[in-house]
Amino acid sequence: MNAHILATTTPTADLRGLQLAYTGGPSVLDGLDWQLLPGQVVGLLGRNGAGKTTLLETLLGLRTPQAGTVQLFGQPAAQLDDASRARIGYVPQHSDLFESFTPAQLLAYFQSFYPRWNSAKVEGLLSRWDIQRHQRIGKLSGGQQQRLSIIRALAHDPDLLVLDEPVASLDPAGRRDFLRELVEQVLERGTTVVFSTHILSDLERVAFHMAFLRGGRIALQAPLDELLDEVRLLSGPTAEVQALLQRLGARTLKRTPLAAGQERVLARLPAGTQLPAGTRAEVVTLEDLYMELT
Amino acid sequence: MDDDFAFSIQTGSAEPIYRQLIDHVRRRVASGQIKAGDEIPSVRDLAQRLAVHPMTISKAYSLLEAEGLLERRRGLSMRVAAQHQAAMPADARIALLRPVLARAAAEARQLQLPPHTILQLLQDILDEDDTR
Repeated sequence: MNAHILATTTPTADLRGLQLAYTGGPSVLDGLDWQLLPGQVVGLLGRNGAGKTTLLETLLGLRTPQAGTVQLFGQPAAQLDDASRARIGYVPQHSDLFESFTPAQLLAYFQSFYPRWNSAKVEGLLSRWDIQRHQRIGKLSGGQQQRLSIIRALAHDPDLLVLDEPVASLDPAGRRDFLRELVEQVLERGTTVVFSTHILSDLERVAFHMAFLRGGRIALQAPLDELLDEVRLLSGPTAEVQALLQRLGARTLKRTPLAAGQERVLARLPAGTQLPAGTRAEVVTLEDLYMELT
Repeated sequence: MDDDFAFSIQTGSAEPIYRQLIDHVRRRVASGQIKAGDEIPSVRDLAQRLAVHPMTISKAYSLLEAEGLLERRRGLSMRVAAQHQAAMPADARIALLRPVLARAAAEARQLQLPPHTILQLLQDILDEDDTR
């Protein structure tokens, strides 16, 4: 029975003990463990410089960590076979599309690498997103180039979609179109998605799970619904707050000392916990979690 | 059919989206705007319309089903359960509104605003909505 469960839940991406530092610099990834299960849509949150791009590049096998392992679809990321590579879609932060090509040429070029290519989807998106098929890419606006990069990443119906700030140059309407397309992917194909962005409202809509990157590790990963339901910001005299958290079996996420023997604690309470009357506890938003946990 | 539901969600809230959807359906049923037999949008339709992860929608629908507000029919879209024929009596609707006002009252006390100012503010907000 266990074997059966294990067999059906091979993580799409499985990262263990990753250690990575750039020459002469501090660790960017520091003993990082992370799993993405099939069909999960995970929002990756972290401050500027926290290592989000490094982490996503390492996940894709584009960077070699000094220690640790990365497996994609159960294979080492560094030695991925062509069939598995063709199951990945990637929208990098800065997409280097060939500027002298037209969108039509670029897509025809990429099509030659993939066994599967969803021409109907590509044509539909080009039309819907108003991309001139025969204009040189260098002449397209930043937003149109970004859309083209997204189309390229979706064209071969990937099972894993890695999005590194994919919507930075899109206006709100363009972002909404993109989010709808992402929802479509999830509905149609159960695509596993990792999505890094600073636009929290986008993540709130489409990412069911949130992962917080801090200090070179995934400090917390959980469904956002559960976090909003269960995480509270408690404050009061340190001894009282600690006694209460212990009694409730709460998990402390962050402690901030305040003046005069008081403290503020971000804690995840067991589901359905009723706090005693008079407890100073505040509900939190995703932005609060971002500020406290990254 | 779709317009009867007029689902909308707010991001940036401490209220998770699935609970916003639940409260929305509760209010529409309580007011009689939607009633027994009305079909609700499918998970797929609503996920696409709101650009929200489908699991968030299905979580809300499942909890509404458990609560007896919606009923599931094999192979068909869900609909409002049979017992909800008409608007709920005023006291039941007031009970739905009370927690929100209680929260507003608590925050108003923290801000040390006098009661007449708060009541006037609520009146103003009600008037604004009337003219929309």
